[in-house]
Order: sequence, then structure tokens, then C-alpha cells
Amino acid sequence: MDENTVLEIKNLVKDYGTKGFKTNVLKGLNLKVNRNDFIAIMGPSGSGKTTLLNILSTIDKPTQGSVILDGKEITRLKNKELSKIRKDKIGFIFQDYNLLDTMTLQDNIALPLSLNGISSKNCIEKTNQLANMFGLKEHLRKYPYQLSGGQKQRGATCRALITNPEIIFADEPTGALDSKSSHDLLECLKMVNDNGQATILMVTHDAFSASYAKEVYILSDGAIKCKLSKGQSRKEFYDRIIDMQASMGSDFS
Amino acid sequence: MSMFKLAVQNFKSSFKSYLSLIISLSFTTIILSNFINLVSSGILDQLGESQAKNIEISIQVLSFVIACFMLFFVWYATNVFLTKRKKEIGTYIFMGLSNQKIGKLYMIETMLIGIVSLIFGIGFGILTSQLFTMILMKLSNLAIQIHFKFTLASIGITCLIFMVIYLIFVIKGYVNIVRSSVLEMVSANRQNEYVRQKNGVLLIKAISGIILLGTGFYLATKEAGMEVMGNILIAMVMVIAGIYLLFGGFIPFVLQTLAKNKSFLYKKERNLWINNMIFRMKKNYRTYTMVCVLMLCSVTALGFGFAMKNRSDNINHFENTYTYQIMGDGAGYRDEFASLIQKENEIEYSSEIEISVIPDIFTDNAYVNTPYAVLSFSQIKQIAEDTGLEFELTEPEENEYIELGHLYLMSLAGDNVGTTNEINKKVYTSVAYVTIPYLGYFQEDMEYMIVNDKVYQEICQLGQTMYLYNYKLKNPENLELSVEDIRSDPHCGGLVKIDPDRNENSWINILFSVSFFVFMVFVLASGSILFMKIYNDAFEEKERYHVLSKIGIDKRSLNRAIANELRVAYIIPLLVMTIASFFSIKAIANLMQSASLLSVNILSVAIIYIFFLICYFFSKAMYQKNVE
Repeated sequence: MDENTVLEIKNLVKDYGTKGFKTNVLKGLNLKVNRNDFIAIMGPSGSGKTTLLNILSTIDKPTQGSVILDGKEITRLKNKELSKIRKDKIGFIFQDYNLLDTMTLQDNIALPLSLNGISSKNCIEKTNQLANMFGLKEHLRKYPYQLSGGQKQRGATCRALITNPEIIFADEPTGALDSKSSHDLLECLKMVNDNGQATILMVTHDAFSASYAKEVYILSDGAIKCKLSKGQSRKEFYDRIIDMQASMGSDFS
Repeated sequence: MSMFKLAVQNFKSSFKSYLSLIISLSFTTIILSNFINLVSSGILDQLGESQAKNIEISIQVLSFVIACFMLFFVWYATNVFLTKRKKEIGTYIFMGLSNQKIGKLYMIETMLIGIVSLIFGIGFGILTSQLFTMILMKLSNLAIQIHFKFTLASIGITCLIFMVIYLIFVIKGYVNIVRSSVLEMVSANRQNEYVRQKNGVLLIKAISGIILLGTGFYLATKEAGMEVMGNILIAMVMVIAGIYLLFGGFIPFVLQTLAKNKSFLYKKERNLWINNMIFRMKKNYRTYTMVCVLMLCSVTALGFGFAMKNRSDNINHFENTYTYQIMGDGAGYRDEFASLIQKENEIEYSSEIEISVIPDIFTDNAYVNTPYAVLSFSQIKQIAEDTGLEFELTEPEENEYIELGHLYLMSLAGDNVGTTNEINKKVYTSVAYVTIPYLGYFQEDMEYMIVNDKVYQEICQLGQTMYLYNYKLKNPENLELSVEDIRSDPHCGGLVKIDPDRNENSWINILFSVSFFVFMVFVLASGSILFMKIYNDAFEEKERYHVLSKIGIDKRSLNRAIANELRVAYIIPLLVMTIASFFSIKAIANLMQSASLLSVNILSVAIIYIFFLICYFFSKAMYQKNVE
């Protein structure tokens, strides 16, 4: 594993159920994420996307195989260390935003950093800087219920970025957004990735979203079926993803 | 399906969530029915007519207090309930039901809760009535034959009180539903909007709250003679309104100001729990007010009980200054009576005094049966020396007198310093008022004027002189032994013997124990209301904590945030209560002219703190379980 590797998955196997009724969800999955990658994982439902993401985000444990995050094997760590890893190394973006409705957007964004014991001056600076970048400056004092879905998701992205995590896991980040908001959000993600500020691993079923990534892995039946790399333009990449989807023939939603 | 059937079905399916409400309502009904039964069953008649009358009045007052409590409780419960139900039954709007119909559904359902609570309450009330009476009598040291008796009248009155209170709020809920818009009905549960309130409004509320509280405290503790009672009533209203505004204005204002100061907020877990607190305050400030007022009531009730007891003990002590008080037909028989008593008993101390009773023709006395009675200063001084009673009087001038009175159980009149009495065309001004029992039992029904010796010599010519000989036995229990000997003496014109076991004020003891009972009921109720509220909130919070652990916030910071939040949630009402109770107890002490009740205050507040500490730990454990 060289220095540039953020995340390495080796021969990951996950079974559910008891003996005799076992379901093989992941069947020896291998994946390597380098610094400043932007990877999209696509796959039909039941292909193991959510299971993979749960294992990567340390919420679930694999049956076999290893996950090495920032040089550390995370599948065999204790709870306390796991929560430290979740706190320091990983940022999360969810489909349903998961902003707290009790606090303003500013407080929401600052929350992970302020809980980490960073000086409040630093928290405020960092929050403002990210909010500026994501076009949320005017909305910092608003509560989540006063924001649109797109604004909320951009806010959630700021929250994920504020601790400077090694990697960001995005679980269907555009799933609840209209196309305009999706576009805005994906542009933002692309921008932070291009700036070298974030390594992103995004799970999605939407070819449009996936086309913003640098690489797309298609997951099917518990293993990676193929990998597509971005060429010259996003448009062309999008067409290739669609073609691949069509050739696989399964329902990707 | 008919409306009624639908309501019954709803009721059955959510019986579990109504359970806490039903238990609390039933408990209140049990206490109320027992209090009313105590009066109507006639058990107390065994104590003698005047005693029973006194107890009945005090229990009726307490029943009224409990009924008021019930009013609050039903108001609170139906309010919480209404928002919850509105959303659930609001969906019937999509099935084409009108607001009226939905309101009716709500009414039937809520009535079912009421009826079930009432049946439980009365049922258990009847079952526990004997136990209740037993505990009460035991606490009050009263010997009474207790037999099982539960009157129809008490059931009727309890039902009536309960139903009237309940109906008011059910109808209020109905009106509320009928008047709501469709949107409101469907989204009644979306309370997460409007988290922050306008600062200006809060500030006005906060300031008026503080002003009301301050004025209330001032009025409650001000010495105002006859106006004390009125002042205390006004103060009570002011303090309750003040507490309401404090929770609705002042505390949210402070919290919001804190939350605005980001360099304060982004430290430790503050960001999490202060924001949560603001959110909760908006939703729960009425609950906090209620809990606070309830606790205040409970402390005041206990203070009142203690003050009454304290007073009655003092009066008892006052009356028992002497064991025998003999009216002699002349001066100088002190040793003669003493030797008669000493045949059977040992004397601890004795005294003698002349009382000059002035016929009304010489005076400006306005009262028919209580003529002016005059004592000489030096003789009182002698009594103090003989008996060891406290004596700090200075001899009055020629146109002055000192008033010698007794202790009242409850008196609104201040002392009479400055009033004047006219005897034989001469005006005497009162310069002091003392309640030291120099004359023992004789001081109970009359007030005396202590004048200087020269004046006394003049005045006593006008009236009739009585010679009073007082003896205190070493063992007052043996008082019957010497009665015959004293009566046999030809100079004995009358004998008053004071039995230390005689208890004219035993009804006060019952009041004391009942007040303790009321205290416990209120503390339990306020604790459980707060607990119930937090219990409900915990379920709401579950999702929030789930989100937090999903974004990688570790359990320890969450637990710390929870602990902080709950601590503040419990401490704020306790703190407000502690401050307010200090004044209310002081007001009670003023009203009852009792000794300082500070120790009662501390004790009752301590009991509440302990109870709330237990509630806090339960709430914390429950909350933290949600995080896992």
C-alpha cells in the first residue's frame, strides 16, 4: 500500500443469515481508493451497495476480508477506536440530509468540529469559509426547515467536509433532489475534489450523478463487474455509463 | 362504522400511551374522593363538635386546593394530548370528515379516558379509604375508631368536580379542532418550525416577568397588618404569572443570547445541548411553569402545616405555664395554698398577682364582656423573678401602659401599639405589646394593661381586685391529687387546673399531617409531570441521536450533552422554585406570626431535590439508552 492510497478493500465477504439460510451479499470484493479520487459505485438493487457502504463506514462488520483506511485495518477495531475513526477520518453525506432541526445551518455545519474541541474561533472561520464555497453564506442563520432540499444537502456536505476527513462517503446524495439542485450539489462536490480538498466515494443508482465522478465501478451480485474511467467530457462519460447499464440490463434504481 | 365505535377502537388501540395519563388522573381522584369522604362520612365527629368542625373546614380548603390542582393537571394533559391526537385523527379529513365530526371523535375518545380514570379513581378511592384514614390519624396522633364507610355524597361530589373540570377542557379541545384549518390538522405534529422566537417579544416577556416576580415577592413579605391577606392573594397571582413569563421569556432569551454568541456556543457539547434546550423550552415552557408552581404549592402547603403546628405548640406551652391557678378572696394566701398542694405534690415554681378589674362606667371600653383589667408593673416584674419568665420591660410613664396579650393561631391584626384607653377621664397610650404568659391560662381570653405602680394604686380604687395565685407542679400529670385539698380551703374562690394532656388544638395536628400529605401528592405530581414530558421527548430525540451517531459523533460526547441538557432541564425549575419558596414560606410565617420557617423551607426543598435527583437519573438512563 503506497502513501497515496486512502482506502483499500481486500477480498471483502459479507454473509447474512444463519447456517443453511445464508445470503452472500459481498463475494470477495477488491477496491482501492487513492487520494483525491472521486469514485462512484453503481449497481442494481440487491447488488450490495448499501452493505459495502455500511462496512466502509464502520457501522457493519465484514464476514471476511479487510478494509484498510489510512493505513489502519478497521474491521478489527474496538468500538471506541471506531468512533474515533468515524469522527476524524470519515465524512458522511446521506440521501435525507440528516441536518438537526433544532439548530441553525451554521451550528449544524460547525457541530462536528466544535465537538472535537477545536477553538470556537477556528470553527467559525472554517464554517464561513465552507459556506462561502457552497453558496450558503446568506443562509447560515436559517433553520433547516427554512431551506430547500438542495441547500440542505449542500449544508450537509459542508458538515461532512469541516473536519477535513480522509474520505467522504456519499450515500445517494442526490436521491431526494430535483435535477437543478442535483446539478448544483454535484458541481460543488466536483469542485472540492478538483481543488484537492476531498476524496469522495459516492454510491448512486443515477447515471447522471455518476458521470460527475472520475471513475465509476459497477457492482453486481456482490462483486465489481467493471470499471469505467472518465474520458474527455462528462457528456461522453454519461453516455458510456448509460450504455453499460443497458448492456447489463438490470434495474438500477 | 359509527363515530362511537371508531372512537372506542382508537381508544383501545392506543390505551398504552394513555396509561400514564389515566394513572395520574386516577391518583388525583383517589386523594380528592378520600378527602371529601373524610368530611362526609362523619368519622371525625368522634373528636367532638368544635374539633370536627375545624378539621372539616381545613379539609374542605384542601379539597379545594386538590380540585384546583386537578384543573391544572387536566388542562395540561388535554393540551399535550390535543396536539398529539390532532395529527392522528386529522388524517380523517382526507376521508371526507368535517372538522365537527373529527372534533366529536376527539371528544368521545377523550371522554373515554376521563371516564376510565374516574372509575379507577373512585374504585381505588373506596378501596383505600380506610387505609387513608388510618394513616392520617396515625400521623396526627388522634385516637379515632376507624370503620369502613364511603358515602354516596362523596362519590357524587368527586364525580361532579371531576366531570365539570374535564368537560371544560374537552369542549375547549373540540372548539380548537373545529376552528383549525385543514393544514393545521394535518401538520399539527410538525412542531419543529419556528424554533427561534423574536428577541424583542422575549425581552418584553422577560422584563415583565421579572417585574411581576419582584413585586409579588415584595407584596408577599411586606408587613401590612390587615391587608396581608389581600396582598398575599395578589402576590400569588403575580408570582404565578411571573414564573410563566420567566419560562416563556426570560430563560429562552438567555439561552438564545448564549446560542448567538458562537464563540461561547462552539465549545464542548454546548452547540448540541443549548440548541436542544432552546427547542425544548419553546415546546415545554408551560410544563416547566406548572411543575414550578406545583412545587411551590407543595412547599407552601408544608410550610403552612408546620406553622400551624408550631403555633399550636406555642399556645399549648403558653397555657401550661401553670398547673393550678387559684382565685383567692384576699392577699397573702400564697404559702397557705402552697402547703396544701405540697401534701401530695412538689411545686416547681409559683407566683401571685393582683388584678384590678375596672367597671365599664369608668372607661371607654367598647366591648361588653371584656372589661379593662389592670396590673401593676412591679408585680409583673416579681412574677418574672419567681417563675423565671423572660422580662425586658421598662416601667411605663404615668400616661402609658403595656399591653399583655396572648398568642393567636392566626391573626391578621398587627400589634396595638399607639392605641389609647381611657380610664376615669384619663387617657393612657399603649407603648408595647407582650405575649409572655405571666398570667398563664388567664391571659388566654383577656388582655391586660400593665401600668406603673403609682397609677395602679389610683386605678385599683375604682375597680374590684382579684387575687390570683399560680402554681406549677413538678409533675403536672398528678394534678388531680391536690384538687380536693385546694378546694377545701375557705379562701379558695375558684380553681383552674390545666391538664397538660388536654388537647384543644388537636385538629391542628390533623391539618399538619394533611398538609404533609398534600406536599407529597404535589411533589410526586410535579416530578412525574416533568418525567412524563421528558419521557415523551426522549422518543422524539431518538432519531436525532441516531443521526448524530451516524455522522460519527461518539457516544461519550452525546452522553455528556444529554447529561448537561437534562441537568439544566431539571435544575431551572428547581432553582426558580427554591427562590420563590423562600418568599412564600416567609409570607406564611408572616401571616401566621410564626417563628422562622427557614428549616421547614430547607427540609421541604431538600426532599424535592432528592426526588428530582432520582427522576433525573431515570431520565438520563432512558435518554442514553436511546443513543445505543
